[in-house]
Amino acid sequence: MIVLVRKALLVLGLPSVLFALWWFASAGSTSFYFPPLSEIVAEFGETWTAERWREDVLPSVARLGAGYAASCAAGVALGLLIGRVRWLFHATEPVLEFARAVPPPVLVPVIMLFAGIGDGMKVAVIISGCLWPILLNTVAGVRSVDPVQLDTAAAYRLGRFRTLTAIVLPGASPRIVTGMRQALAIGVILMVISEMFAAQSGLGFAIVQFQRSYAIPAMWSGILLLGCLGAALAAVFACVDRAVLHWYHRQRTEEA
Amino acid sequence: MLEVAGIGRDYRVDGEVHTAIDALTFQVAEGELVCVVGPSGCGKTTLLRMCAGLLAPTRGAALVDGREVDGPPEDTAVVFQEYGRSLFPWMRVGANVELPLKRLGLTRAQRRERVAEALRLVDLEGKERVWPWQLSGGMQQRVAIARAIAFRPRLLLMDEPFAAVDAQTRADLEDLIRDLWARLGITVVFITHDIDESVYLGQRVLVLSSPPTTLRAEVHIGLGPERDQLETRSSPAFAKLRGQVWAEIQAAKRGET
Repeated sequence: MIVLVRKALLVLGLPSVLFALWWFASAGSTSFYFPPLSEIVAEFGETWTAERWREDVLPSVARLGAGYAASCAAGVALGLLIGRVRWLFHATEPVLEFARAVPPPVLVPVIMLFAGIGDGMKVAVIISGCLWPILLNTVAGVRSVDPVQLDTAAAYRLGRFRTLTAIVLPGASPRIVTGMRQALAIGVILMVISEMFAAQSGLGFAIVQFQRSYAIPAMWSGILLLGCLGAALAAVFACVDRAVLHWYHRQRTEEA
Repeated sequence: MLEVAGIGRDYRVDGEVHTAIDALTFQVAEGELVCVVGPSGCGKTTLLRMCAGLLAPTRGAALVDGREVDGPPEDTAVVFQEYGRSLFPWMRVGANVELPLKRLGLTRAQRRERVAEALRLVDLEGKERVWPWQLSGGMQQRVAIARAIAFRPRLLLMDEPFAAVDAQTRADLEDLIRDLWARLGITVVFITHDIDESVYLGQRVLVLSSPPTTLRAEVHIGLGPERDQLETRSSPAFAKLRGQVWAEIQAAKRGET
Protein backbone atom coordinates (compact mmCIF):
# COMPACT_ATOMS: atom_id res chain seq x y z
CA MET A 1 0.00 0.00 0.00
CA ILE A 2 2.71 2.45 1.04
CA VAL A 3 4.70 1.38 -2.00
CA LEU A 4 1.74 2.16 -4.26
CA VAL A 5 1.25 5.59 -2.71
CA ARG A 6 4.93 6.37 -3.12
CA LYS A 7 4.82 5.26 -6.71
CA ALA A 8 1.74 7.38 -7.41
CA LEU A 9 3.42 10.41 -5.83
CA LEU A 10 6.51 9.84 -7.94
CA VAL A 11 4.54 9.52 -11.17
CA LEU A 12 2.13 12.40 -10.55
CA GLY A 13 4.50 14.69 -8.67
CA LEU A 14 6.28 16.49 -11.48
CA PRO A 15 3.18 16.94 -13.71
CA SER A 16 1.33 18.47 -10.76
CA VAL A 17 4.18 20.85 -10.00
CA LEU A 18 4.44 21.93 -13.64
CA PHE A 19 0.70 22.38 -13.88
CA ALA A 20 0.71 24.52 -10.75
CA LEU A 21 3.66 26.55 -12.02
CA TRP A 22 1.88 27.25 -15.30
CA TRP A 23 -1.32 28.03 -13.45
CA PHE A 24 0.20 30.66 -11.15
CA ALA A 25 2.72 32.08 -13.60
CA SER A 26 0.02 32.73 -16.16
CA ALA A 27 -2.66 33.78 -13.63
CA GLY A 28 -2.33 37.51 -14.26
CA SER A 29 -1.43 37.21 -17.93
CA THR A 30 -2.97 39.80 -20.19
CA SER A 31 -1.15 38.53 -23.28
CA PHE A 32 -3.55 37.60 -26.05
CA TYR A 33 -1.42 34.65 -27.15
CA PHE A 34 -0.65 33.29 -23.70
CA PRO A 35 -3.90 33.37 -21.79
CA PRO A 36 -4.08 32.29 -18.15
CA LEU A 37 -4.26 28.51 -17.70
CA SER A 38 -7.51 28.97 -15.77
CA GLU A 39 -9.03 30.38 -18.95
CA ILE A 40 -7.70 27.48 -21.05
CA VAL A 41 -9.09 24.93 -18.61
CA ALA A 42 -12.45 26.68 -18.58
CA GLU A 43 -12.39 26.69 -22.37
CA PHE A 44 -11.50 23.00 -22.41
CA GLY A 45 -14.89 21.88 -21.13
CA GLU A 46 -16.74 24.18 -23.51
CA THR A 47 -14.70 23.29 -26.57
CA TRP A 48 -14.45 19.53 -26.30
CA THR A 49 -18.11 18.67 -26.32
CA ALA A 50 -19.47 15.25 -27.22
CA GLU A 51 -19.95 16.46 -30.76
CA ARG A 52 -16.35 17.60 -31.05
CA TRP A 53 -15.17 14.24 -29.73
CA ARG A 54 -17.27 12.54 -32.37
CA GLU A 55 -16.33 14.93 -35.19
CA ASP A 56 -12.65 15.54 -34.48
CA VAL A 57 -11.09 13.36 -31.80
CA LEU A 58 -12.50 9.99 -32.88
CA PRO A 59 -11.65 10.39 -36.59
CA SER A 60 -8.09 11.37 -35.62
CA VAL A 61 -7.68 8.41 -33.32
CA ALA A 62 -9.24 6.09 -35.90
CA ARG A 63 -6.80 7.23 -38.60
CA LEU A 64 -3.90 6.86 -36.22
CA GLY A 65 -5.12 3.39 -35.21
CA ALA A 66 -5.52 2.26 -38.82
CA GLY A 67 -2.16 3.64 -39.95
CA TYR A 68 -0.34 2.34 -36.90
CA ALA A 69 -1.87 -1.14 -37.08
CA ALA A 70 -1.06 -1.41 -40.79
CA SER A 71 2.52 -0.27 -40.10
CA CYS A 72 2.95 -2.84 -37.33
CA ALA A 73 1.61 -5.69 -39.46
CA ALA A 74 3.59 -4.76 -42.57
CA GLY A 75 6.72 -3.78 -40.64
CA VAL A 76 6.93 -7.03 -38.69
CA ALA A 77 6.05 -9.25 -41.67
CA LEU A 78 8.54 -7.57 -44.01
CA GLY A 79 11.13 -7.33 -41.25
CA LEU A 80 10.94 -11.07 -40.57
CA LEU A 81 11.40 -11.78 -44.26
CA ILE A 82 14.28 -9.35 -44.79
CA GLY A 83 15.96 -10.35 -41.54
CA ARG A 84 15.85 -14.06 -42.37
CA VAL A 85 16.87 -13.94 -46.04
CA ARG A 86 20.48 -12.85 -46.24
CA TRP A 87 20.61 -11.66 -49.87
CA LEU A 88 17.37 -9.75 -49.43
CA PHE A 89 18.88 -7.97 -46.43
CA HIS A 90 21.98 -6.91 -48.35
CA ALA A 91 19.87 -5.85 -51.33
CA THR A 92 17.43 -3.74 -49.33
CA GLU A 93 19.64 -2.27 -46.61
CA PRO A 94 20.72 0.92 -48.44
CA VAL A 95 17.18 1.60 -49.62
CA LEU A 96 15.80 1.15 -46.11
CA GLU A 97 18.35 3.52 -44.64
CA PHE A 98 17.45 6.08 -47.31
CA ALA A 99 13.73 5.69 -46.72
CA ARG A 100 14.18 6.14 -43.01
CA ALA A 101 16.28 9.26 -43.49
CA VAL A 102 13.54 11.08 -45.44
CA PRO A 103 11.56 13.20 -42.94
CA PRO A 104 7.98 11.89 -43.25
CA PRO A 105 6.22 15.31 -43.25
CA VAL A 106 7.78 16.20 -46.60
CA LEU A 107 5.90 13.27 -48.05
CA VAL A 108 2.54 14.83 -47.23
CA PRO A 109 2.31 16.93 -50.43
CA VAL A 110 3.52 13.97 -52.48
CA ILE A 111 1.03 11.58 -50.95
CA MET A 112 -1.74 14.13 -51.47
CA LEU A 113 -1.01 13.96 -55.19
CA PHE A 114 -1.92 10.32 -55.52
CA ALA A 115 -4.00 9.60 -52.43
CA GLY A 116 -6.15 12.72 -52.55
CA ILE A 117 -7.14 14.56 -49.41
CA GLY A 118 -9.41 11.99 -47.77
CA ASP A 119 -8.84 9.57 -44.91
CA GLY A 120 -6.73 7.40 -47.18
CA MET A 121 -4.16 10.16 -47.54
CA LYS A 122 -3.91 10.65 -43.79
CA VAL A 123 -3.51 6.95 -43.13
CA ALA A 124 -0.90 6.75 -45.90
CA VAL A 125 1.06 9.61 -44.33
CA ILE A 126 1.01 7.88 -40.95
CA ILE A 127 2.20 4.62 -42.53
CA SER A 128 4.95 6.42 -44.45
CA GLY A 129 6.46 7.48 -41.14
CA CYS A 130 5.57 4.59 -38.82
CA LEU A 131 6.65 1.74 -41.05
CA TRP A 132 10.41 2.41 -41.00
CA PRO A 133 11.26 2.25 -37.32
CA ILE A 134 9.21 -0.95 -36.97
CA LEU A 135 10.68 -2.51 -40.10
CA LEU A 136 14.29 -1.60 -39.32
CA ASN A 137 14.07 -2.66 -35.69
CA THR A 138 12.42 -5.94 -36.67
CA VAL A 139 15.21 -6.64 -39.17
CA ALA A 140 17.85 -5.83 -36.56
CA GLY A 141 16.03 -7.93 -33.95
CA VAL A 142 15.71 -10.93 -36.26
CA ARG A 143 19.37 -10.73 -37.20
CA SER A 144 20.46 -10.56 -33.59
CA VAL A 145 18.63 -13.73 -32.51
CA ASP A 146 21.20 -15.87 -30.72
CA PRO A 147 22.84 -18.38 -33.12
CA VAL A 148 22.84 -21.02 -30.37
CA GLN A 149 19.06 -20.70 -30.15
CA LEU A 150 18.79 -21.09 -33.91
CA ASP A 151 21.14 -24.11 -33.79
CA THR A 152 18.96 -25.61 -31.09
CA ALA A 153 15.86 -25.08 -33.22
CA ALA A 154 17.62 -26.62 -36.22
CA ALA A 155 19.00 -29.59 -34.27
CA TYR A 156 15.50 -30.49 -33.07
CA ARG A 157 14.14 -29.95 -36.57
CA LEU A 158 11.49 -27.52 -35.46
CA GLY A 159 10.70 -26.59 -39.05
CA ARG A 160 10.48 -23.19 -40.69
CA PHE A 161 7.14 -22.10 -39.34
CA ARG A 162 7.72 -23.11 -35.74
CA THR A 163 11.24 -21.67 -35.76
CA LEU A 164 9.78 -18.39 -36.94
CA THR A 165 6.89 -18.22 -34.49
CA ALA A 166 8.44 -19.88 -31.44
CA ILE A 167 12.07 -18.72 -31.70
CA VAL A 168 12.72 -15.85 -34.11
CA LEU A 169 9.67 -13.73 -33.33
CA PRO A 170 9.98 -13.86 -29.53
CA GLY A 171 13.76 -13.52 -29.79
CA ALA A 172 13.35 -10.36 -31.84
CA SER A 173 10.43 -9.03 -29.82
CA PRO A 174 12.39 -6.65 -27.55
CA ARG A 175 13.65 -4.82 -30.62
CA ILE A 176 10.26 -4.98 -32.33
CA VAL A 177 8.63 -3.36 -29.32
CA THR A 178 11.29 -0.64 -29.34
CA GLY A 179 10.47 0.08 -32.98
CA MET A 180 6.76 0.16 -32.23
CA ARG A 181 7.33 2.64 -29.41
CA GLN A 182 9.26 4.98 -31.71
CA ALA A 183 6.59 4.56 -34.38
CA LEU A 184 3.80 5.51 -31.99
CA ALA A 185 5.38 8.89 -31.26
CA ILE A 186 5.93 9.49 -34.98
CA GLY A 187 2.36 8.40 -35.69
CA VAL A 188 0.86 11.02 -33.35
CA ILE A 189 2.94 13.76 -34.97
CA LEU A 190 1.96 12.70 -38.48
CA MET A 191 -1.68 12.37 -37.52
CA VAL A 192 -1.72 16.04 -36.56
CA ILE A 193 0.39 17.21 -39.49
CA SER A 194 -1.67 15.38 -42.09
CA GLU A 195 -4.79 17.02 -40.70
CA MET A 196 -3.25 20.46 -40.92
CA PHE A 197 -2.79 20.24 -44.67
CA ALA A 198 -6.19 19.38 -46.02
CA ALA A 199 -8.94 18.18 -43.80
CA GLN A 200 -12.49 18.75 -42.69
CA SER A 201 -12.10 17.05 -39.34
CA GLY A 202 -9.55 15.91 -36.81
CA LEU A 203 -7.53 17.26 -33.93
CA GLY A 204 -4.91 18.91 -36.14
CA PHE A 205 -7.65 20.49 -38.27
CA ALA A 206 -9.45 21.80 -35.17
CA ILE A 207 -6.30 23.34 -33.70
CA VAL A 208 -5.44 25.11 -36.96
CA GLN A 209 -9.01 26.36 -37.24
CA PHE A 210 -8.93 27.78 -33.71
CA GLN A 211 -5.66 29.49 -34.46
CA ARG A 212 -6.96 31.05 -37.68
CA SER A 213 -10.09 32.32 -35.96
CA TYR A 214 -8.02 33.70 -33.07
CA ALA A 215 -9.73 31.38 -30.58
CA ILE A 216 -6.45 31.20 -28.68
CA PRO A 217 -7.65 29.54 -25.42
CA ALA A 218 -9.46 26.89 -27.49
CA MET A 219 -6.26 26.32 -29.48
CA TRP A 220 -4.29 25.84 -26.28
CA SER A 221 -6.95 23.43 -24.99
CA GLY A 222 -6.50 21.39 -28.17
CA ILE A 223 -2.77 21.23 -27.57
CA LEU A 224 -3.41 20.10 -23.99
CA LEU A 225 -5.75 17.42 -25.28
CA LEU A 226 -3.11 16.19 -27.72
CA GLY A 227 -0.60 15.96 -24.91
CA CYS A 228 -3.05 13.95 -22.81
CA LEU A 229 -3.80 11.69 -25.77
CA GLY A 230 -0.09 11.05 -26.27
CA ALA A 231 0.40 10.29 -22.58
CA ALA A 232 -2.59 7.92 -22.57
CA LEU A 233 -1.27 6.08 -25.63
CA ALA A 234 2.14 5.77 -24.01
CA ALA A 235 0.51 4.32 -20.88
CA VAL A 236 -1.44 1.76 -22.94
CA PHE A 237 1.78 0.91 -24.75
CA ALA A 238 3.62 0.39 -21.48
CA CYS A 239 0.93 -2.11 -20.41
CA VAL A 240 1.26 -4.03 -23.68
CA ASP A 241 5.05 -3.94 -23.31
CA ARG A 242 4.86 -5.39 -19.81
CA ALA A 243 2.47 -8.11 -20.95
CA VAL A 244 4.46 -9.16 -24.02
CA LEU A 245 7.99 -8.73 -22.67
CA HIS A 246 7.47 -9.63 -19.01
CA TRP A 247 10.07 -12.39 -19.40
CA TYR A 248 12.58 -9.92 -20.81
CA HIS A 249 12.18 -7.30 -18.09
CA ARG A 250 12.09 -9.86 -15.30
CA GLN A 251 15.12 -11.68 -16.63
CA ARG A 252 17.08 -8.46 -16.66
CA THR A 253 16.13 -7.50 -13.12
CA GLU A 254 16.38 -10.96 -11.59
CA GLU A 255 19.70 -11.88 -13.16
CA ALA A 256 21.37 -8.64 -12.19
CA MET B 1 24.97 -45.97 -35.38
CA LEU B 2 27.27 -43.06 -36.16
CA GLU B 3 29.92 -43.37 -38.79
CA VAL B 4 32.35 -40.59 -39.57
CA ALA B 5 34.04 -41.23 -42.91
CA GLY B 6 36.98 -39.09 -43.89
CA ILE B 7 35.21 -35.95 -42.73
CA GLY B 8 37.04 -32.63 -43.11
CA ARG B 9 36.35 -28.96 -42.98
CA ASP B 10 38.22 -25.94 -44.35
CA TYR B 11 37.54 -22.33 -43.63
CA ARG B 12 38.61 -19.13 -45.29
CA VAL B 13 40.32 -16.20 -43.63
CA ASP B 14 41.05 -13.23 -45.91
CA GLY B 15 40.84 -15.43 -48.97
CA GLU B 16 43.30 -17.94 -47.58
CA VAL B 17 42.13 -21.49 -47.06
CA HIS B 18 42.90 -23.05 -43.69
CA THR B 19 42.26 -26.67 -42.94
CA ALA B 20 40.57 -27.04 -39.58
CA ILE B 21 39.84 -30.74 -39.83
CA ASP B 22 41.86 -32.73 -42.33
CA ALA B 23 40.19 -36.12 -42.35
CA LEU B 24 38.58 -37.99 -39.50
CA THR B 25 37.31 -41.53 -39.60
CA PHE B 26 35.73 -43.42 -36.72
CA GLN B 27 32.62 -45.33 -35.77
CA VAL B 28 30.36 -45.26 -32.76
CA ALA B 29 28.31 -48.38 -32.14
CA GLU B 30 24.71 -48.41 -30.98
CA GLY B 31 24.52 -47.85 -27.22
CA GLU B 32 28.14 -46.73 -26.85
CA LEU B 33 29.38 -43.77 -24.82
CA VAL B 34 32.33 -42.23 -26.62
CA CYS B 35 34.27 -39.16 -25.52
CA VAL B 36 36.20 -36.95 -27.92
CA VAL B 37 39.13 -34.93 -26.54
CA GLY B 38 41.82 -32.87 -28.16
CA PRO B 39 43.99 -29.80 -27.67
CA SER B 40 42.11 -26.51 -27.71
CA GLY B 41 41.34 -25.25 -31.18
CA CYS B 42 41.43 -28.70 -32.75
CA GLY B 43 37.89 -28.44 -34.13
CA LYS B 44 35.95 -30.54 -31.62
CA THR B 45 32.91 -28.32 -31.89
CA THR B 46 33.21 -28.23 -35.68
CA LEU B 47 33.19 -32.02 -35.69
CA LEU B 48 30.08 -32.16 -33.52
CA ARG B 49 28.29 -29.57 -35.62
CA MET B 50 28.99 -31.62 -38.75
CA CYS B 51 27.67 -34.79 -37.08
CA ALA B 52 24.57 -32.84 -35.97
CA GLY B 53 23.92 -31.63 -39.51
CA LEU B 54 24.40 -27.98 -38.50
CA LEU B 55 27.50 -27.51 -40.64
CA ALA B 56 28.29 -29.03 -44.02
CA PRO B 57 31.65 -30.82 -44.26
CA THR B 58 34.12 -29.75 -46.93
CA ARG B 59 34.92 -33.40 -47.66
CA GLY B 60 33.89 -36.78 -46.42
CA ALA B 61 30.63 -37.36 -44.58
CA ALA B 62 28.98 -38.33 -41.34
CA LEU B 63 26.45 -41.13 -41.51
CA VAL B 64 23.75 -41.85 -38.98
CA ASP B 65 22.21 -45.30 -39.37
CA GLY B 66 23.97 -45.55 -42.73
CA ARG B 67 22.34 -42.39 -44.06
CA GLU B 68 24.48 -39.44 -44.94
CA VAL B 69 23.90 -36.42 -42.73
CA ASP B 70 22.85 -33.47 -44.89
CA GLY B 71 20.73 -31.74 -42.26
CA PRO B 72 19.91 -32.46 -38.62
CA PRO B 73 19.20 -36.21 -38.52
CA GLU B 74 16.05 -37.73 -37.08
CA ASP B 75 16.23 -39.19 -33.55
CA THR B 76 19.24 -37.04 -32.68
CA ALA B 77 19.46 -34.52 -29.86
CA VAL B 78 22.19 -32.00 -29.16
CA VAL B 79 23.22 -30.44 -25.84
CA PHE B 80 25.29 -27.30 -26.27
CA GLN B 81 27.90 -25.83 -23.99
CA GLU B 82 26.09 -22.50 -23.73
CA TYR B 83 23.06 -23.68 -21.75
CA GLY B 84 22.08 -20.09 -21.00
CA ARG B 85 21.79 -19.34 -24.69
CA SER B 86 20.33 -22.66 -25.76
CA LEU B 87 17.26 -22.41 -23.53
CA PHE B 88 14.58 -19.96 -24.61
CA PRO B 89 14.11 -17.28 -21.94
CA TRP B 90 10.56 -16.50 -23.06
CA MET B 91 9.41 -20.01 -22.24
CA ARG B 92 9.09 -21.62 -18.87
CA VAL B 93 11.10 -24.78 -18.17
CA GLY B 94 8.17 -27.04 -19.11
CA ALA B 95 7.62 -25.30 -22.44
CA ASN B 96 11.33 -25.44 -23.23
CA VAL B 97 11.40 -29.20 -22.72
CA GLU B 98 8.12 -29.66 -24.58
CA LEU B 99 8.93 -27.62 -27.69
CA PRO B 100 10.79 -30.32 -29.70
CA LEU B 101 8.02 -32.81 -28.90
CA LYS B 102 5.39 -30.74 -30.70
CA ARG B 103 6.14 -32.14 -34.11
CA LEU B 104 6.15 -35.77 -32.98
CA GLY B 105 2.38 -36.18 -33.21
CA LEU B 106 1.85 -36.77 -29.51
CA THR B 107 -1.22 -35.71 -27.59
CA ARG B 108 -0.97 -32.91 -25.12
CA ALA B 109 -1.22 -35.36 -22.23
CA GLN B 110 1.55 -37.54 -23.66
CA ARG B 111 3.79 -34.52 -24.06
CA ARG B 112 3.12 -33.39 -20.52
CA GLU B 113 3.95 -36.85 -19.27
CA ARG B 114 7.22 -36.99 -21.16
CA VAL B 115 8.20 -33.55 -19.86
CA ALA B 116 7.43 -34.55 -16.28
CA GLU B 117 9.36 -37.79 -16.67
CA ALA B 118 12.39 -36.10 -18.20
CA LEU B 119 12.46 -33.46 -15.47
CA ARG B 120 12.21 -36.19 -12.85
CA LEU B 121 15.18 -38.00 -14.41
CA VAL B 122 17.37 -34.91 -14.13
CA ASP B 123 16.15 -34.25 -10.59
CA LEU B 124 14.07 -31.20 -11.45
CA GLU B 125 10.70 -32.71 -10.70
CA GLY B 126 7.82 -30.24 -10.74
CA LYS B 127 9.88 -27.32 -12.07
CA GLU B 128 7.71 -26.91 -15.19
CA ARG B 129 6.44 -23.47 -14.22
CA VAL B 130 9.84 -21.98 -13.35
CA TRP B 131 11.61 -19.62 -15.76
CA PRO B 132 15.04 -20.88 -16.93
CA TRP B 133 16.80 -17.69 -15.83
CA GLN B 134 15.63 -18.27 -12.28
CA LEU B 135 17.78 -21.41 -12.13
CA SER B 136 21.49 -21.84 -11.46
CA GLY B 137 23.82 -22.72 -14.32
CA GLY B 138 23.96 -26.38 -13.44
CA MET B 139 20.18 -26.57 -13.20
CA GLN B 140 19.80 -24.82 -16.56
CA GLN B 141 22.07 -27.39 -18.16
CA ARG B 142 19.94 -30.13 -16.56
CA VAL B 143 16.90 -28.56 -18.22
CA ALA B 144 18.74 -28.72 -21.56
CA ILE B 145 19.53 -32.39 -20.85
CA ALA B 146 15.88 -33.02 -19.93
CA ARG B 147 14.84 -31.45 -23.21
CA ALA B 148 17.19 -33.82 -25.03
CA ILE B 149 16.01 -36.98 -23.29
CA ALA B 150 12.29 -36.08 -23.43
CA PHE B 151 12.81 -36.14 -27.19
CA ARG B 152 13.91 -39.80 -26.76
CA PRO B 153 16.79 -39.61 -29.20
CA ARG B 154 18.79 -42.65 -30.16
CA LEU B 155 21.88 -40.50 -30.58
CA LEU B 156 22.81 -37.79 -28.09
CA LEU B 157 25.55 -35.34 -29.10
CA MET B 158 27.03 -33.24 -26.30
CA ASP B 159 29.37 -30.32 -26.93
CA GLU B 160 31.44 -29.58 -23.80
CA PRO B 161 28.20 -29.42 -21.84
CA PHE B 162 29.82 -28.98 -18.44
CA ALA B 163 32.63 -26.60 -19.36
CA ALA B 164 30.84 -23.61 -17.86
CA VAL B 165 29.67 -25.03 -14.53
CA ASP B 166 31.54 -25.25 -11.23
CA ALA B 167 33.48 -28.39 -10.27
CA GLN B 168 30.96 -29.69 -7.73
CA THR B 169 28.03 -29.36 -10.12
CA ARG B 170 30.14 -30.83 -12.85
CA ALA B 171 30.77 -34.05 -10.94
CA ASP B 172 27.02 -34.42 -10.30
CA LEU B 173 26.23 -33.83 -13.96
CA GLU B 174 28.82 -36.39 -15.06
CA ASP B 175 27.19 -39.02 -12.88
CA LEU B 176 23.80 -37.94 -14.22
CA ILE B 177 24.95 -38.56 -17.79
CA ARG B 178 26.41 -41.99 -16.92
CA ASP B 179 23.17 -42.85 -15.16
CA LEU B 180 20.89 -41.68 -18.01
CA TRP B 181 23.03 -43.41 -20.60
CA ALA B 182 22.89 -46.71 -18.70
CA ARG B 183 19.16 -46.39 -18.07
CA LEU B 184 17.97 -45.23 -21.48
CA GLY B 185 20.34 -47.25 -23.67
CA ILE B 186 21.11 -44.31 -25.94
CA THR B 187 24.28 -43.68 -27.92
CA VAL B 188 26.27 -40.74 -26.56
CA VAL B 189 29.06 -38.77 -28.18
CA PHE B 190 30.55 -36.46 -25.59
CA ILE B 191 32.96 -33.71 -26.57
CA THR B 192 35.19 -32.30 -23.85
CA HIS B 193 38.54 -30.64 -23.35
CA ASP B 194 38.85 -32.19 -19.90
CA ILE B 195 40.98 -35.34 -19.89
CA ASP B 196 39.71 -36.60 -16.51
CA GLU B 197 36.15 -36.11 -17.61
CA SER B 198 36.68 -38.06 -20.81
CA VAL B 199 38.25 -41.01 -18.96
CA TYR B 200 35.65 -40.97 -16.19
CA LEU B 201 32.68 -40.89 -18.59
CA GLY B 202 33.67 -42.82 -21.65
CA GLN B 203 33.88 -46.41 -22.71
CA ARG B 204 36.23 -45.18 -25.34
CA VAL B 205 38.14 -41.93 -25.76
CA LEU B 206 39.05 -40.55 -29.15
CA VAL B 207 42.03 -38.20 -29.06
CA LEU B 208 42.25 -35.63 -31.85
CA SER B 209 45.44 -34.02 -33.11
CA SER B 210 46.12 -30.30 -33.54
CA PRO B 211 44.89 -28.77 -36.81
CA PRO B 212 44.86 -29.93 -39.54
CA THR B 213 43.06 -32.41 -37.33
CA THR B 214 43.16 -36.15 -37.66
CA LEU B 215 42.38 -38.96 -35.26
CA ARG B 216 45.50 -39.31 -33.15
CA ALA B 217 44.66 -42.16 -30.84
CA GLU B 218 41.85 -44.27 -29.55
CA VAL B 219 41.94 -45.31 -25.90
CA HIS B 220 39.68 -48.05 -24.56
CA ILE B 221 38.57 -47.31 -21.04
CA GLY B 222 38.24 -50.64 -19.28
CA LEU B 223 36.94 -49.23 -16.02
CA GLY B 224 33.71 -51.20 -16.03
CA PRO B 225 30.14 -49.94 -15.81
CA GLU B 226 30.14 -48.82 -12.16
CA ARG B 227 32.00 -45.55 -11.69
CA ASP B 228 32.33 -43.47 -8.59
CA GLN B 229 33.68 -39.95 -8.37
CA LEU B 230 35.94 -40.80 -5.45
CA GLU B 231 36.88 -44.46 -5.95
CA THR B 232 37.19 -44.53 -9.72
CA ARG B 233 39.14 -41.31 -9.88
CA SER B 234 41.63 -42.48 -7.26
CA SER B 235 42.13 -45.95 -8.71
CA PRO B 236 45.48 -46.88 -10.32
CA ALA B 237 43.70 -47.93 -13.54
CA PHE B 238 42.16 -44.47 -13.84
CA ALA B 239 45.52 -42.80 -13.28
CA LYS B 240 47.11 -44.97 -15.93
CA LEU B 241 44.41 -44.21 -18.54
CA ARG B 242 44.48 -40.56 -17.67
CA GLY B 243 48.23 -40.53 -18.17
CA GLN B 244 47.84 -42.25 -21.50
CA VAL B 245 45.33 -39.71 -22.84
CA TRP B 246 47.37 -36.88 -21.37
CA ALA B 247 50.53 -38.07 -23.12
CA GLU B 248 48.70 -38.26 -26.43
CA ILE B 249 47.40 -34.72 -26.09
CA GLN B 250 50.80 -33.37 -25.09
CA ALA B 251 52.30 -35.07 -28.14
CA ALA B 252 49.50 -33.65 -30.28
CA LYS B 253 50.28 -30.16 -28.99
CA ARG B 254 53.92 -30.59 -29.93
CA GLY B 255 52.76 -31.63 -33.36
CA GLU B 256 54.32 -35.11 -33.27
CA THR B 257 52.83 -37.75 -35.48
